[in-house]
Formats: sequence, structure tokens, C-alpha cells
Amino acid sequence: MSSHDLTVAGYLAIIACGVALEVLSRRPRSRIPSFGRVLSSVMRTRAGRVGVVAGWAWLGLHLLVR
Amino acid sequence: MAGVFDLLSGDFLIHGIVLFAVAGALLWDARSQRVRTSAEVVDAPPPAVETTRPGPSLPPSPLVIAGVAFAIVVGSFARYSWPASLAVFGVAAAAVAIAWREPRTRRSPPEPVTRVGAIAWTTVFVSLALWELTALLLQPSLTTDSYAHPTISVLMDSVLASPIGRSAFLVVWLAVGWVLLER
Repeated sequence: MSSHDLTVAGYLAIIACGVALEVLSRRPRSRIPSFGRVLSSVMRTRAGRVGVVAGWAWLGLHLLVR
Repeated sequence: MAGVFDLLSGDFLIHGIVLFAVAGALLWDARSQRVRTSAEVVDAPPPAVETTRPGPSLPPSPLVIAGVAFAIVVGSFARYSWPASLAVFGVAAAAVAIAWREPRTRRSPPEPVTRVGAIAWTTVFVSLALWELTALLLQPSLTTDSYAHPTISVLMDSVLASPIGRSAFLVVWLAVGWVLLER
């Protein structure tokens, strides 16, 4: 396995963990909250709301903007 | 922190400045709120009645059409060109301004997040950040991309190289932005 493959596999493994958590959150009486619930909780405050939206905005700027 | 790494990795100055500006504005806001709170203890207004609204809704059809048109047109511009930059920057700035305002209606408070849930999700995002940072530090230099240790941005380059890829990314980006602003 090359370094490139290993690096990509690392990203995929972390994404798989996120998907697994989301699946676990759907089970009845799960102690794991869904990602949406975590976002809602974080975005209850202005700092959280603006922070999350700024992160989203930065992604667009980073990938497309001069 | 993201702003610092943005500058260290040789990105264009404006990206880091945007992050620093938002962080500065939030600090200023938190400080002014503390001052207001201490000054208004005696004469506090009655708390606002909190109404509830349903979960994130689909955007109205005209907005969907406008969003898709925006993605097609802006996706056809060269990456990092001035027209693409101005268009994306305008949408991003408007979204941050909307997020800054207090929502007129609020959803009912979400169930509290359990400690184990917070730790689990934090672990995923911190792992992703550390893996990305490791790839960045393993590049020949902070400003030179590496095929052997690609960052997420480098992996996205192949997608964003074509107008179709840029338009598809913009559609997803706008959709995620809508969902976030609807929360």
C-alpha cells in the first residue's frame, strides 16, 4: 500500500466512523446523538451559529476563491 | 487556529482574514453582551416569547432554480478567477450576516447531548483535523502539494478541475448552507 493509498484510507476510515455514529444514533434509546442534533445544540448560540456557518463559508472560499 | 494554518499554508490572505474577522466580531459581541448584561440587571426587559418552527424545510422552488443557475454559471468560471471569487464571496458573506442575526423564531430546545455522544463526535472531527494536519506537514513544504500525502484540498482538485465538478460542488455547498441557516 502506497503512502497515497494509506492517506486516503485514513480519510475514508474516519468518514466511516462518522457514518457508523450516525447509524448508531438511529437505534432506540441510543446514547449517541445524531449529527443533526449535535449541530442544533451547537447552533443554539450566536457564537456557535456564526462559527458553523463561517466554517461552511470558508470551505467555499478555500476551494474556489482567489 | 484555522486562520493561522490558512496563512501558514500560503493560502491567499483573504481566507485567513475572513476567519480572523469572524473570530474578532464574536469576541467583541461576547464582550458587549457581558457589559450589557451587567448594566441591565436592574431594568431587565421581559424575556422574549420563544415560538417554535418545524425542522429544516426545503427551499422554495424559485430559490432552488436560482441556486442551480448560480452553480452552473459560477462553475463555468475558471477556478480562482475574479468573477468566481466575487460570486462565492458574496454568498458566503450574506450567509454569515444572516447567521449573525437572532432568528425570529426558534425551534424547541434540542435534547441535551450526552457526554458520551459529545466525546464520540468530537473524536471523529478532531481525528479528521489531525489526519489532515499530518498530511499537510508531510508535504515537501506547506505551500507544495504532495501526491503521497494529499490533503482534502488536494484530493478535491481533480473534482474542481472541470466546470461540471465545480457546479456539482457548488450545488452541494449551497444546499448545506441552506440547511445550516434553517437550523
